Amino acid sequence: MSGWHSAPLSGTAVIEEGAQASLGAADHGPLDERADLLAHRRARRRARTRRVVTGLGGLVALVLLWQVAAMILSDQVALPSVIQTGSQFAHYLTRPYPAQGKPLWFDLYISLRRILFGFVIGVAIGVAAGAAMSASRVIRHLVDPVIEVIRPLPPLAFIPLFIVWLGIGELPKEVLIIVGVIPVMAITTVAALDEVPEDLRLCARTLGATRGYTLAHVQIRSALPGILTGMRIAMAGAWSSIVAVELLAATSGLGFLIMQAGDYLDTALVFAGIITIALAGLVLDGCLRGLLIVADPSRRG
Amino acid sequence: MSIRHSSRRRWLVTADAGTRPDAGPAAAHVVLESVGKTFRRSGRRTVALSGINLQVAPGELVCLLGPSGCGKSTLLRIVAGALASDQGSVRVGGRPAGGPAPDRGMLFQSPMLFPWLTTRQNVLFGPKAQRSAGIHQRDDPELDAEADAILATVGLAQFSDAFPHELSGGMQHRAAFARAMVTRPSLLLMDEPFGALDAITRIRMHDFLLSMWERYRITIIFVTHDIEEAVLLGDRVAVMGGKPPGIREILDVPLGRPRHAADVDTERFLAVKRRIRASLTR
Repeated sequence: MSGWHSAPLSGTAVIEEGAQASLGAADHGPLDERADLLAHRRARRRARTRRVVTGLGGLVALVLLWQVAAMILSDQVALPSVIQTGSQFAHYLTRPYPAQGKPLWFDLYISLRRILFGFVIGVAIGVAAGAAMSASRVIRHLVDPVIEVIRPLPPLAFIPLFIVWLGIGELPKEVLIIVGVIPVMAITTVAALDEVPEDLRLCARTLGATRGYTLAHVQIRSALPGILTGMRIAMAGAWSSIVAVELLAATSGLGFLIMQAGDYLDTALVFAGIITIALAGLVLDGCLRGLLIVADPSRRG
Repeated sequence: MSIRHSSRRRWLVTADAGTRPDAGPAAAHVVLESVGKTFRRSGRRTVALSGINLQVAPGELVCLLGPSGCGKSTLLRIVAGALASDQGSVRVGGRPAGGPAPDRGMLFQSPMLFPWLTTRQNVLFGPKAQRSAGIHQRDDPELDAEADAILATVGLAQFSDAFPHELSGGMQHRAAFARAMVTRPSLLLMDEPFGALDAITRIRMHDFLLSMWERYRITIIFVTHDIEEAVLLGDRVAVMGGKPPGIREILDVPLGRPRHAADVDTERFLAVKRRIRASLTR
């Protein structure tokens, strides 16, 4: 089962059969082996903390570099400093921007609402399609070519068409997200469900599970990390799609705000908007990654 | 680095010191009569098995021995209920074998533990699945106690909260064994379960299986391609092969019980092994 780290990777199996070697020369009794497991987990936690701190350090260094570069360049329009960006962000967070009359938090809310609405529907349809394809060979052979044709197309190419069909309100933007999410989710769901070994299902049946119980608690549960990973990919695509469409064909949202700020050469606000987009994307991805860690214990390390 | 001989026998000691098991269902008597199986794929017919006749006494450990492709795994899956036979009948405990069921437990070459569940949760998967199917109404404390007992028996009490990826190969197999046994099967079907392990761990698992069999006296059908393993574990060895694939002969293993993995070096064992090997390569 690729994606599931069930077999101990070399060097990461916690306790070797008989507790010989690996964890030092001292004699180990049964209770000490348990302590070894806990120590191993603690060590992994420490390593994880180190990774997070190092990552944050890298980001801080980047921000400092930016501030220094801005001070050297001394051109507020070309490269606003961190402080200028921060102050524009704070200023327009709650105050409406003159050109369109909405504060930043509202634009953020609008963008998020569009994304989440389209994402949830797209995931539901995509996963259902993937599950159907996995279950029935006929459906798979029918739907697969359609997906293969849609998938490489940038969803943005559909925007003029959607506007003609669906008007200029929220609907074309939602549909755009949905059309982008469905192929990704269908493909990853099929792959994830296919990967579940048949013997795993047979094993559950020989333990007394009914077919339905096996479907829910073994097959779908086993495919969950793959599906969540697909959701992360779909979310990244959806997020960049919505910002791009807001740049071109919207009157609200973060993309629109950036466009407006750019028109007025308010580069500090453009930066602030871009950073908001990046952080929002990071938070959304972080939520999904959190779910992924809950679903797949082997990734906790 | 010190060598810990006693740690190798740690779980053997645990097995003896464990509580007496509940009286489970009686070990099943297995009767295979003229079992045959033909696979049809895109017009081609492949006869996987033909004319299989085998009787396994309750509590007996019979090994199916043969090279890859001789149909031994197919036969095991027919007994498990994963495949239907095309000819003949399979009766387990006097009743025809239907679909997969917990009275016929199965162990595979890979431990097949559920990676998102801890060892204890894996062991309790069967009972909890049966509970939601309405087969019994045992509550959590009772199930937890039973899980603790069997984990202690297989020597994994310290690792009940570990996830499968934190366990070594041998430990995973022991956990899979505990998980299968907790549903109290009357027959255990083992499909080359130790094939993927290194030689040293395999020796330990042989000792493990032998001591577990001594304790539970459950009927076991054990599939392997390893002659030594078949002779060490089995009361009888059914040699499979030929065209069409069937049971060529069934040989008794005239070695006493209890056995230990170390027996493979004895003269007696080597003599028996030589005889069976001659039959296999004829």
